[in-house]
Amino acid sequence: MGAWQRGLAWTLAAFATLGVGALSQVPYEADSMDEAVVRAAWRFRGARVDECRTLTPAQQAELPAHMRRERVCDTRVIPYRLTVRIDGVLVVDDTARAGGAHEDRPLYVSRDVVVVPGTHAVAIGFERLEELTGDAAAAVPAALEFAAHLELAPKQVALITYDPATQRLVHRGYGRDRP
Amino acid sequence: MARFAARLELVVRRPIAWADRWMNRVYGWRLNPLYHSGALTLALIAVVLITGVYLLFFYKISAPHESVARISERIWLGSWTRSLHRYASDAAVLAAAIHALRVFAQRRTWGPRALAWLSGCMLLFVIFVCGWTGYVMVWDVQGLVLAREGARLLDALPVFAEPIGRTFAGDGELPSAFFFLNLFLHVALPVGMAVLLWIHVARLARPALLPPKPLMWGVIGLLAALALLWPAAIAPRADVFTLAVPAPYDVFFSFWLPLTRAMPPWVVWAVLVVAGGAVFLLPYWIRPPARARPPASVVDENLCQGCGQCYLDCPYEAITMISVPDSPRGLVARVDPTMCVSCGICAGSCAPMCVGPPGRTGRDQLADVKAFAGRQQWTRGDVALVACDRGGGAAAEAGEIDGAPVFGVRCVGSLHTSVVEYLVRSGAGGVLIVACPARDCWNREGVTWMLERLYNDREAELPSRVDRRRVRVAYAGEAEFLTVLAELQTFRADVAALEAVAGESNIAIDDSCNPVPEEALR
Repeated sequence: MGAWQRGLAWTLAAFATLGVGALSQVPYEADSMDEAVVRAAWRFRGARVDECRTLTPAQQAELPAHMRRERVCDTRVIPYRLTVRIDGVLVVDDTARAGGAHEDRPLYVSRDVVVVPGTHAVAIGFERLEELTGDAAAAVPAALEFAAHLELAPKQVALITYDPATQRLVHRGYGRDRP
Repeated sequence: MARFAARLELVVRRPIAWADRWMNRVYGWRLNPLYHSGALTLALIAVVLITGVYLLFFYKISAPHESVARISERIWLGSWTRSLHRYASDAAVLAAAIHALRVFAQRRTWGPRALAWLSGCMLLFVIFVCGWTGYVMVWDVQGLVLAREGARLLDALPVFAEPIGRTFAGDGELPSAFFFLNLFLHVALPVGMAVLLWIHVARLARPALLPPKPLMWGVIGLLAALALLWPAAIAPRADVFTLAVPAPYDVFFSFWLPLTRAMPPWVVWAVLVVAGGAVFLLPYWIRPPARARPPASVVDENLCQGCGQCYLDCPYEAITMISVPDSPRGLVARVDPTMCVSCGICAGSCAPMCVGPPGRTGRDQLADVKAFAGRQQWTRGDVALVACDRGGGAAAEAGEIDGAPVFGVRCVGSLHTSVVEYLVRSGAGGVLIVACPARDCWNREGVTWMLERLYNDREAELPSRVDRRRVRVAYAGEAEFLTVLAELQTFRADVAALEAVAGESNIAIDDSCNPVPEEALR
């Protein structure tokens, strides 16, 4: 390998290495500069209802010995309706169902609403979809509401979440409340 | 489907051949990094592992971004080690991708090689997941975007009772278990990689795990210099209450982000399943129809002397020696057709010419070369070419180059030395063997064994009565026809200067062999 070829080889290798370095840190903006987000995210235990039935001796006999009970209950959590209004416009109208295959896990809400930066009237509603009475109805609120004017700068995220201590929707993160 | 695959192979193969040609000119074929992409990947992963162990001492799952910043700013060699860790993993992805493309273009993905293809794809996938967890560990802007994107995709699967995406919503502290899990995956996956690597090379004899030292240390040295002169940046800390600000992203591990973020998760999964399925099933849809597949080698047990040379030379461990009391040495070779790729290297290794793919054994080659030589009218200084029909500057396809006749073989490793001997003794002034560069041999060790047989008396060796000045080996990649032409002209001039020889008739070829010592067969 001659001197010029050696030089060419090292030069090419150096450029390839620089290429690796450059591709390893390419400037990229995953989210737009002209956006802000109103995020509705919370975990809500929900109203649990037990639907119980009594098994006949014949029905019990069909079950394995360790599963035989006179009374069996299927637990489910009542779904809620989620609405998000931005400046009076309904942007989310969805049913929040409980997690899990039997819908017996808590309700999880996670919605990002992209808005232009500025002040917005944000109204969030979370209403139980079925009427309930008794202890189950009293355990958790039948409806939650949030309404505020939030001022958001570009890239800021205003989080509306559920506070189990006060049983209310509260505002966290960015977004100054405006009267 | 096979026709489409063949076209696709050509599309990939041409630019690779072109790149090989230029890299051979610059680096020479011995140090061409494209030929060593697989071994380079492994060397780079070793660098990643070593640097990763060092970084692990200083990483804290309770303060991920702060600890990485501390590594970069305060720890001795911390910034350099972290940068080298990152650049080496980037280069490993690049090398692995080149390796996969080469293997695909050279049709080395199906049949007995399917296991290596599948395990190789899984290795690449694991490298990606390792990189993913590595970036999330840093917990900078890129880490948060990757974590959210991963969570978005996983939440689309009906598997998790609690959505993973909520972890990054901001309504609670980020659990340290999340970073522990990340760290665990980042450390545990390389262990899985070791198992996959073992599977990857399980069907290879003498796998080349490291590239030549000058190349390996050259690449590592350059990356180390890059890490010193251009340390990898650390992006701002992840903030769940801020959308991703502009930050440096690693294209090698995050190239898919702009695509997937614009798609609903089920579309991303559909694309992943289709693309992943196509890559994983490649060995099945790319393989030629049964009638067009090259047949596995067979052994004529009546002629086999049990010397064990084919067993030693087979690059795919497809040959075993079994006990047969009636045979001269108590052993005969047997080929496992499920392991044999029909490379024919065993044909070149067998002095008694009793093993090889049907139609390509030493005996078949000898019959072919007799007919070939019978068609020539040798005059002083005439040269015959013996060329590999896969690479070798595509010389085998030409039939004749600048007046020199070409005898094509599937691989120079399958070339029986009796062919060379016959050509020289029949009156050819010289024999120019056109081989692929050694590390580009489609059959891994074809060139190595051919050289050993020509010059180092490895069975089936070229007899000493053949004047070695009349035999030369030229190396040329698929797109290096001009190299072949130049080598031919030089060799012709050298042969013309030699004394004239008269061609022999009734040429007898010695087919006896020296057995391999028994300890080598154990």
